[in-house]
Order: sequence, then C-alpha cells, then structure tokens
Amino acid sequence: MKKLLAVLLSIVMIIGATLSFTSCGETDNSGDWAEIKERGYFVCGITVYAPMNYFNEDGDLVGFDTEFAEAVADYLGVEAKFQVIKWGSKYLELNSGSIDLIWNGFTYGAEDGVPRTNYVDFTHAYLKNEQCVVIRSEDAATLNAKAAFAGREAAVEGGSAGESVAKGLAGNEDKLAKFDSQAAALTELSAGQVDFAVIDLQMAKAMVGTGDYAGLTICTASDIVIEPEVYAIGARKGSDFTAKVNEAIEALYEDGVLQEIAKKYGLEYDLVEDLGK
Amino acid sequence: MGTDFLSITLSLLEGFETTCTLFGLTLLFSLPLGLVIAFGSMSKFKPLSWLCRLVVWVIRGTPLMLQLFVVFYVPGMLFHVRIFSGEDGRFTAALVAFVINYACYFSEIYRGGIESIPKGQYEAAQVLGMSKWQTFRTVILMQVVKRILAPMSNEVITLVKDTSLARVIAVAEIFFVNEMDYLSRGLVWPLFYIGAFFLIFVGVLTLLFRFLEKKLSYYKI
Repeated sequence: MKKLLAVLLSIVMIIGATLSFTSCGETDNSGDWAEIKERGYFVCGITVYAPMNYFNEDGDLVGFDTEFAEAVADYLGVEAKFQVIKWGSKYLELNSGSIDLIWNGFTYGAEDGVPRTNYVDFTHAYLKNEQCVVIRSEDAATLNAKAAFAGREAAVEGGSAGESVAKGLAGNEDKLAKFDSQAAALTELSAGQVDFAVIDLQMAKAMVGTGDYAGLTICTASDIVIEPEVYAIGARKGSDFTAKVNEAIEALYEDGVLQEIAKKYGLEYDLVEDLGK
Repeated sequence: MGTDFLSITLSLLEGFETTCTLFGLTLLFSLPLGLVIAFGSMSKFKPLSWLCRLVVWVIRGTPLMLQLFVVFYVPGMLFHVRIFSGEDGRFTAALVAFVINYACYFSEIYRGGIESIPKGQYEAAQVLGMSKWQTFRTVILMQVVKRILAPMSNEVITLVKDTSLARVIAVAEIFFVNEMDYLSRGLVWPLFYIGAFFLIFVGVLTLLFRFLEKKLSYYKI
C-alpha cells in the first residue's frame, strides 16, 4: 500500500515538474513562417467593427484591415483567414497558435501602463489614429471642456488604448465600465448608462452619428489633447513571420496597392508616410 | 447585415444549430465515457479507482470555463502543438472539454445507481450460476436506468444551457453570435428571444423524459 502510494506520488511529481519546466522556457517561434507556408494560410484575430473588419450588406467580411491582410497574403502566396475572437483573450489566442496575427486596428503602444511590446512583436505601423471622446448629442452643450468630464461615468473597451484616456478624464478608475468591444461601449453610452465613451477615432468616424448610434456625437472640446498613435500588426514574440509581413507591407506600399485600399475606405490621409522607412 | 426579425431569426438559428450539435455530440460521447469512469472508480484495483476519483474530483472541482481555456489554449502555449487547428478547431476543443466534464458528473450518477442495487441480487445471480457480466447486463442495468432517470434528466437539461459557456473560446454558438452581431450594436431584444429557443428545447426534453419514465415504470408497486 505504502509503496503504491509512493509510486503514484512520484508520477504526479514528475508530471508536475515537466509542466513547470516547459512553462518556464522561452518558446521558440522562429519556425512560424515555414509552418504557415506549409499549411497555406495565416489566421488574423479580429473583432467586428467599421472601417477595419466588418460585414457588408451581402454578409461578406470587408474593411481596410480585411483587404490589407488579403493583399499581404496574396503577396506571400498564402491565404488570409479571419477569426472573430474575444479581444480580452488576444494574447492567449496568439501564443497558443490559434491565431497568427492580431490585426484589427491594434494600437502600437501601452496597455494598462505595460508596453504591448512585452507581449507581441509589432510590424511596421501603417495607419494613424487617435483616441476620441464620444458623447450623446444632447450633452454637447454641457460636456464642452476637459473639466466637465471630471467625475463622470465612462464606458471603454477593456484593455484598449482608450481606457487610460478615459481614466485621465474621469479622474478615477471606479468611474470606468469596461466592455468586450468598443461597440459595446458605444451601446452603453447610447443607452444612457454612462456619460461618455472613449474609442478609436477611425471607428468613431465610421460609426458615430449613423444607424444605431445616430444620437451620439464626437466631442470637440479643444482643451482635450490626446496623443496621436498608430496602428500596427501584432505577431508572436520572436516570430520570423514579422519580417515576412513587413516585406509584404513595404512592397504593397511601393506599388501603391495599400494607398488604393486606403482610398476605398476614406483613409488615404491617415496612412503612415514613408511606411517602413 | 439586416436587423429585421427574419434575418435575426435566421442568423440566431445558425448559432442554435451549433448549440444543438454541441449538446448532442456531448451526450453521445459522455454517456458511455461516464460509465467507464464509474466502473473505474468502483474497481477493486485500488490505483485505478484512486485515479478515477482524482479525475472526478479535479473536473468537478474546477469551473467548466477554466477547463475550456485549458483544453483550447494550453497545448499550444506549453508544448507548441496545435491540436485544435482548422475550421472546426474551436468546436472540437469545446466538445472535448464538455465530454470530459459531463462524463465525470454522469459517472457519479451511474455509481450511485449501481451501488443502490441490493447485494442480495448479486448473490442470487451467483447462486444461479450467472457470470459477472451476465448479472450486470440482465439483472442490474435496467434497474439502474430506471433509478437514475430523474437525476440524469437534470444533468441533461443543465447541459443544454451550459453550452453557452463555449463562447469564451469564441465558438459561434447562439450567445456568441448574438453578442458579436446584435448586442454589440445595441439590440437587446434578441437576447430575450434566445430565451424562447432554450425554453422550447428544454420543454421538448422534459416531455421526452416524462415519456421515458412512464415507459420504464413497469414492476412498480
């Protein structure tokens, strides 16, 4: 009996030790490109929003990032697939290999004060963006200066660049309601649960004031200064795929293909100049 | 994408199909697997019975949501193997997690049912010269089925609603479809509409179980 117990325990300990050993080691992603080439496609993790990745009337996935990814895939001779993910699980999805790129208006910068470069390798930045404050149209007269936002309730996407901006404006973390997507934050605002939302300017330009968000408007208070930022694509750390995607981006920019796609979505003035230089 | 009643119904039905498939396949695999685990934990070979009880303890003792994360993400993160790749990868991962989880719950119901049969019946069968397997198949099994029907119907109905947890790994079941397409755009009523889908489905199951109970109520005094 005792011997058996000892054997069982040692088995458990061996399993435990191997588990902890493998989890400590830096994972090696330098063979990513070979693997992607072999299987013939790469997977982009997305959430659905205009103008980056969204469904048109026919139910087809379109958008700037969608077409951009397809163009990159074309150049590399593989296929681009898109997987709708929970934005909060994006690093988990990336590191477990269920997606290969985070490509969905992904801001090059920090998240909760931690630089995102800790989690991913970025490709070239390709599009300029800002965070922007959205309010209900009827509040436009009262919420007209930075001071008016102090102590107000805000809705943001958890883990987004807008979260820290909203925290700065409201002055208190407790005032933030965090959601799965930027669209959910807007919904919260139009339903009257919060006083303002902070989302990407590119998204706000495409969605605020139309359709389901007709009652919303972009806040134009001149004393709210928000640092400009850029979008880039996130790849696994140490992956050799990053260089491949960069090569494709440079070529597409040189040939004017990227500019064409940008024009289609009204983003031609927001492309990063001298991309890749 | 339209937001009229018909197109919402159609797209929700598509999600509900995934929900139903997940439900059906989970039952199909976890019912027999549960019996295997039940036999394992009743085994006279102690290490096997310990192992089965340990597994049941771990699976019943941790949230199903966590198990979904572990099944889908951990193989890729720790060992760099992508078991669940391809189109149906997420669904398969969810199915594996659900089957293991429900098999453990079922195994305890089976065990309770089997152990509730009086010892005298085994002894009587032995006197009549029946083998162990014969005894189980012809004497014990159907009595067990009758006894466990009520707790099983409980678990099965819980499973219908638990399938919505699969959305944490982005399986396109009905709640995930609704969250991504409608809730995120401020449409709240589809959420309650989904409630009707489940209510009808569970209603059918309830009738089915009532029918089975009636069917199996012979020899009742």
